[in-house]
Amino acid sequence: MSNEYYPRPAIIKDIIDETVNTKTYFLKYFDEKVQKDFMWHPGQFLMLSVFGVGESAISISSVDKNNYINATIRDVGNVTNKIFEFKKGDSIGMRGAYGAGWPLEKMIDKDVLIIGGGMGIAPLRGVIHYIQKNRLKYKQLEIIYGAKTPDDLIFKYEFDKWKKIKNSTLHLTADELTTIPSFECQEGLVTSCFPRMKTHHRNAIALLCGPEIMMRYAAKCLETIGYKDDQIYLSLERRMKCGIGNCGHCQIGLKYVCKDGPVFNYSDIKPFIQPL
Amino acid sequence: MKGFILEKKDLKSLLEIFLTKYKVYGPVRSGYDSTFEEIKSIDQLHLDYISTVLPPKKFFLPPKEKLFSFEIQDGKFTIEESKFHEKSLIFGIHPCDIHAILKLDKFFLEDYKDIYYESRRKNTVLVAFNCVEPDEYSFCYKMGTGPYMEKGYDILLTDIGTKYLIEIGTDIGQHLIDKLNLEKATKHDFDEKERRFILTEKKFKKHMNTTWLSKIAQENLDHEVWRDLGEHGGVAGSFPCLSCGSCTFVCPTCYCNDIYDKMDLNLKSGTRNRELDSCQLLEYGEVALGGNFRRDRKDRIKHWMLCKFGAAAGGKNSSCVGCGRCIRVCPSKIDLTEVAKILRGD
Repeated sequence: MSNEYYPRPAIIKDIIDETVNTKTYFLKYFDEKVQKDFMWHPGQFLMLSVFGVGESAISISSVDKNNYINATIRDVGNVTNKIFEFKKGDSIGMRGAYGAGWPLEKMIDKDVLIIGGGMGIAPLRGVIHYIQKNRLKYKQLEIIYGAKTPDDLIFKYEFDKWKKIKNSTLHLTADELTTIPSFECQEGLVTSCFPRMKTHHRNAIALLCGPEIMMRYAAKCLETIGYKDDQIYLSLERRMKCGIGNCGHCQIGLKYVCKDGPVFNYSDIKPFIQPL
Repeated sequence: MKGFILEKKDLKSLLEIFLTKYKVYGPVRSGYDSTFEEIKSIDQLHLDYISTVLPPKKFFLPPKEKLFSFEIQDGKFTIEESKFHEKSLIFGIHPCDIHAILKLDKFFLEDYKDIYYESRRKNTVLVAFNCVEPDEYSFCYKMGTGPYMEKGYDILLTDIGTKYLIEIGTDIGQHLIDKLNLEKATKHDFDEKERRFILTEKKFKKHMNTTWLSKIAQENLDHEVWRDLGEHGGVAGSFPCLSCGSCTFVCPTCYCNDIYDKMDLNLKSGTRNRELDSCQLLEYGEVALGGNFRRDRKDRIKHWMLCKFGAAAGGKNSSCVGCGRCIRVCPSKIDLTEVAKILRGD
């Protein structure tokens, strides 16, 4: 009988600094068999354990060609605080992947609009990589990515690659242009890019992830330009203790964010998204 | 219909059979209330109990338990899982509580199996007692969970005057009573059971109409009753909610739990624990950077009631069984049935 609560040891193969308080960890299960059995879908998340401190739900920001699981983490709480003290070669407890990811099947032969806010681009990065690899399946790709300042944007080293994807557009925004960035970046919120959008709502799916307030407004703006509720998908954040629907914390309406989400169709959860 | 007859004075011999095979838990008087405790002899049993303070969920999902212990050495960790082998029997459990366990089964044993719950559940025999005297706060007959029951038990006893009518639900139950060579029940005994059932039904004081209730609750997320409950003067003579969490703690179907680590003093080993949590507490919906998805008290009490009305995610498996415990313990005198009435506009 397998115990889902049982974290398995994983090794930190590498660490990249993204911003002052964000790092990407490259993880691999210690046990070859567990690593081989690891299946994931863009949008899913992991439960990372630091023994003695606790567990946290962290989204998978991609799995690279070495089969290292990328987890992009911002230092905001007890567990992430401790993870930041870890170095290359240290071991960490890991279980997953859990949850339902982005609707890659439903997006086939459609335009894809990706809207990420701050750390919200992390779970979307897997989709970008997937589209890059399966370019012919999808039509126009448009990425709108914003953060508080240009320095807070993560995955800067990949922006050029994203731009080079065929038939794609990348808009970068910052709430405040505190520094002059080396890349093209506009001052304003993500919604300020909407007038210049190339994708058309008639045959598009929008994927949103970011702070809930940003998603609420972005979804509203998308509605005004013609998107229907069922064309919009959001990835939600909730407090999670177990990741497998057994602790109750992440309920939203008739759904569990961990089991039925974190990616939801907007029409399913619209009445439950409230201002923070 | 198949049943057996046990004279009330022979209850002792039935209990003795249980005691030889299992650790037996049963209702015990404690002050003015009753609780489920370990039983060693028939004198401790308090079978006329109305309702216990804590539901028997404590045997399957303990208020606090260790999931596993871990040891850290040179940056590597090893895990030692907890194991349970205790075979136990719960004696004198009422229909509402059995129904609550059936709901918990659905929750913990589907999708991802919770092995802690599963192993306890597998090793526990349920000997149920049909209710003849309902609690003043209970409304199980409206929820289809009492006062009598049809499924979920291993052995079921019904008080029919000087005798008990015994019905068997599983092979384990049959095996346990085989030794007693009990007399078969007659149609007359079953008629007597039915007669008492009708009498009991008339004694209920609380009512709740559940027709369309879950749908109505889902569609009235901004009903003023939630604001009244959480912030204004209360509902139907109650005070506003204090967010104390008593209702969730005594609810036989509330399962929300918190998982946390505890380090030993040597900082090399520790345990991962699970503890009952309550959606009524402020920290329940808190996330990093101070965000809280249910900061307002009205949102928290709303969430709990939606769950009990079957209108929230957890509520699919943790909806109300009508035991009435939450009404009894609420320091603000909040009454679930009154809220349902207002929501329905009755």
